[in-house]
Amino acid sequence: MRKKTFAAAALLAAATLTLSACGSGDSGDSPVAVVSEDSSQKAATVLDQPFEKPDLVLTDTKGQKYDFRQETAGRPTLIYFGYTHCPDICPLTMNNIAVAKKQLPKAEQDKLRVVFVTTDPARDTPSELGKWLKGIDPQFIGLTGDFATIQAGARTLGISIEPTHKDKKTGKVVSVHGTQVIAFSPKTDGGYVLYGEDATVDDYTKDLPKIIKGQNP
Amino acid sequence: MNRLAPTALLITGTLALALAGCGGSGDTKPELSVGSAYMPQPVTGDMAAGYFTVVNKGGAKDELTSVTSGASARVTLHETVGQSMEQVTSLDVPAHGQLVFKSGGNHLMFENLKRKPVQGEKVTVELHFATSGPITIEMPVKSATYNPATGH
Repeated sequence: MRKKTFAAAALLAAATLTLSACGSGDSGDSPVAVVSEDSSQKAATVLDQPFEKPDLVLTDTKGQKYDFRQETAGRPTLIYFGYTHCPDICPLTMNNIAVAKKQLPKAEQDKLRVVFVTTDPARDTPSELGKWLKGIDPQFIGLTGDFATIQAGARTLGISIEPTHKDKKTGKVVSVHGTQVIAFSPKTDGGYVLYGEDATVDDYTKDLPKIIKGQNP
Repeated sequence: MNRLAPTALLITGTLALALAGCGGSGDTKPELSVGSAYMPQPVTGDMAAGYFTVVNKGGAKDELTSVTSGASARVTLHETVGQSMEQVTSLDVPAHGQLVFKSGGNHLMFENLKRKPVQGEKVTVELHFATSGPITIEMPVKSATYNPATGH
């Protein structure tokens, strides 16, 4: 594969240094290189050992009790842990799913449950969450509540989150989001497919019709 | 890849001198240009992100120290560390290198925008550097799901 000519070691130290200095500018993580790698990878990871649905009893955007297991039983379901004061990955992930969902037939859109669980319940009150999700897809479900419950639920899905805290250096409030979306099968209720944060609209558009039926994407 | 021709290694003395000049012009000054700028249409006017790339063709590094915009009184620089984002006071633009802002990495954060930017509009942003003069860019507002890799 990558071959280094060790004759280079025999070279005068000065010349070696100069060579590496010239080369270093091109070896950075240029976006072009990333693109060519991405196209060969599949966004979905189908799990051999599906996750059980987390036991999350929280509050929805209307301020009402929402039992995740009960409400989503037998429904194709996607879950993501994030927060609304997040300009980058959280809105992108939810918007990617929203755009893909709109391409499903109406009946399938109504079957799908997309659940956004806040990792920042102190700031994400039911009404704040509701306002934010309405701007993405009014059918999406937003849940908030006790952080310890949310953290424990996330942990059963292999997602680790920390409470919102103040950065020691800047004094700024720092929140943490999950990096995965997990899809649950309507047939088994198992969390059987995992998406990383680089999953695109096209990936979800391609896979959602299968997830609706509990098939492997 | 990365293979050095052994014959070249024989001429060590002149080689070092010749290669030292490989950067071309601008050996002592940063030479900056900015491209690939966009803002994904935000969910609300409370918060938006912005991305771009600063290319430095010069032989000296520079530093992006602040960003200002008429769209928001508060624009800050963030880098992503693991699953959280951290505000930073400056970011390096290496000599003969680039500073990349992209989703999941470095990003601008606009807070409490005067109004919500909508796809098709442009947001004027001024970048301030430690050495070079300020650069003004027109950041196009793209769809909320815009992916620069595919262009849609």
